[in-house]
Amino acid sequence: MDALLHALNGIPVLGLVFQFVEYFITSLPFTAHVAVQLAVPICLAALCGVMCERSGVVNIGLEGIMLTCAFTGWFAGAVVTGVLGPGTPTPIFGFTVPLLLALVAAILAGMLLSLLHAWLSISVRADQIISGAIINIAAIGLTGYMNTLLSTQTLAATSNFSALRIPAAVAGFPVVGWLINALFGQGPIGIATVLIVIIFQILLFRSRWGLRTRSVGEHPRAAETVGIDVIRLRYRNVVMSGALAALGGAYLSMEATNAFQAGMTQGRGFIGLAAMIVGRWTPVGAFGAALLFASSQAISQSISVSPPPGDLGTLLSHVPTQFFDALPYLITIVVLAGLIGRSIAPAADGRPYQRESAS
Amino acid sequence: MVLANLPRVAAISLVAVAIAACGPSSSGTATSKWKIALMSATGTLLDHNFSQYSWEGAKKGAADIGAKDPATVVPKDSTDYDKDIQTFVDAGYNLIVTVAFDEGTATTKAAKKNPNVTFIGVDQSPICVDEQGNADSTFACKGDASKLLPNYSSLWFEEDQPGYLVGMVAASISKTGVVAGVGGINVIPPVVRYLQGFELGAKSINPNIKVETSYVTTSDFTKAFNDPVAGKVLGAQLISQTHADVLFQVAGKTGNGVLDAACAANVFAIGVDVDQYLSYPNADPCIVTSAEKHLSNAVEAAIKSVNAGTQKPGDSLFNAANNGIGISPFHGKDNLISADLQAKLAAALKGMKDGSLKTCPAKCGQA
Repeated sequence: MDALLHALNGIPVLGLVFQFVEYFITSLPFTAHVAVQLAVPICLAALCGVMCERSGVVNIGLEGIMLTCAFTGWFAGAVVTGVLGPGTPTPIFGFTVPLLLALVAAILAGMLLSLLHAWLSISVRADQIISGAIINIAAIGLTGYMNTLLSTQTLAATSNFSALRIPAAVAGFPVVGWLINALFGQGPIGIATVLIVIIFQILLFRSRWGLRTRSVGEHPRAAETVGIDVIRLRYRNVVMSGALAALGGAYLSMEATNAFQAGMTQGRGFIGLAAMIVGRWTPVGAFGAALLFASSQAISQSISVSPPPGDLGTLLSHVPTQFFDALPYLITIVVLAGLIGRSIAPAADGRPYQRESAS
Repeated sequence: MVLANLPRVAAISLVAVAIAACGPSSSGTATSKWKIALMSATGTLLDHNFSQYSWEGAKKGAADIGAKDPATVVPKDSTDYDKDIQTFVDAGYNLIVTVAFDEGTATTKAAKKNPNVTFIGVDQSPICVDEQGNADSTFACKGDASKLLPNYSSLWFEEDQPGYLVGMVAASISKTGVVAGVGGINVIPPVVRYLQGFELGAKSINPNIKVETSYVTTSDFTKAFNDPVAGKVLGAQLISQTHADVLFQVAGKTGNGVLDAACAANVFAIGVDVDQYLSYPNADPCIVTSAEKHLSNAVEAAIKSVNAGTQKPGDSLFNAANNGIGISPFHGKDNLISADLQAKLAAALKGMKDGSLKTCPAKCGQA
């Protein structure tokens, strides 16, 4: 086997491809785990976008909602820890009472902010892009300012959710071990994301709620004529979607790290929007797109952390890392240009619905 | 009508609050002729690290000379530098501290344009100017900045020295024989010097040790220093893929994520710039020590000597010889540090002081 590989790798040009495949497979257990971690916040933002846009409301405020929730979660955690004490973390996932209360606070904050967006875009019928932009700008300013104010206070140190440790025997299982480790060697929010994607996909395409949501996003007037309350359904979905973005924010400040940092979303909400589009407004598609974006970064990291030996290593070390940084956006452009099948938004996306008045 | 306008008004006032919140702020009573302002590194003042400790130093310096607390501004990216400095100048600030290597060009330009304003740059050496004292983007550096720009001095540190010291610690506590240094970005010489010193220091203890050096990015300053999640992921990957069991971070807030990764995986971490055991308690269980540059002291001293009229223009160097750098206490992890290592550390520090120990390779500061 080794001799065969050696012979294949020796072929000029084509050998590089074999080397790359070999490197890709050997580093897959590491890169897959990293890619899922990087994909979780992007995916949650994208899911929030899917839920909003499927019901006909554009939400570009994902970034702002995530940032606000990352801040709220961390701050609530610090306050509750100060009052109740840190508590003993459970052996699995590291749940503590303050941490769970903080998560609830983060989710409520996300739903509240989404309610604002829903009100502006559904009842007031304001421009939804502007409403989203306001949420983004206000979130950056307000969380940054409050973080500055709080820096002079001594806050209790918060803990964070810990990742599930997959036993080496399972992680080392041939063929599927790496996949189990990548998907489930995560903290509770990470694992929940995988489950949410599956449940959301089924609900959206196989349930009454899903059918109604899609019809409200495609043709609200028709939906209304068959007795669906368009306004109410849109409100409900937008507010629920806030909880998804909130989880994304909480992931950053309560699972990936254990403190808030000003501007810590780093554009993940916007990449989430791109993932939503590349994933064609479906939950599974959004997850796949988020993974795709995340793996370009994971592979680029893997190349810099432990470069492959031989010719391939020499070649790859000459690829500027900017190439990998830009890859997600290049993919988005390709998709938007319709080269890999068209990605079509729900027909009534971004259009406020107005009931025909009887008078 | 009123109701329809309400959201617009609410939205505008929200934005106004957000913008007002970002403006410069200051307080305190003033008896000094100096009005001090500080521009932090991109995107962050409260990084528990570089910017924050420079700011602490500026605050102490201001108090020492009876000036008001320094005003601060946090630039969002490099396009803000010129504008932010000019805002301070226009508002009558006459002693402006800018923090970070990549703010050097903007500071040089401002110093040339405003000869009556005194500038202190942290980490901006060498100040590179042409014969007329203009900022030189070609890095030919034909002019003598200390003569052409008498109102500008740059405080710089031999980061390779503290890097060397923590490298020695890392090599002696590693069980796997692999240690890793994570830099934010490879185009900032101070970052590179830290890691070059780290490698040499580690090899001085164990010539066979593997030193993995990686950079978070080669282009994106925000990701390099402000993205703890990216740092944590990179740290975790280094641990699992290279089996490194000591991680040295040189990446600001991104690096705090590297420290988190080390803690999560139960390996050792080494902090940077300040004693991170104190500045970043989240990672206390795994921080062994930190490679320090005495930022706060350096900025405070510079402000005092500007006030006294004794600050020399041009590059002023801080290293082991003038106690400008050091290694943090081990905070309860002293049992990891053998007597033999203690002696070697002391000897290395002595060698740095008298100049007999070289801690940086030939291409010092270039990755």
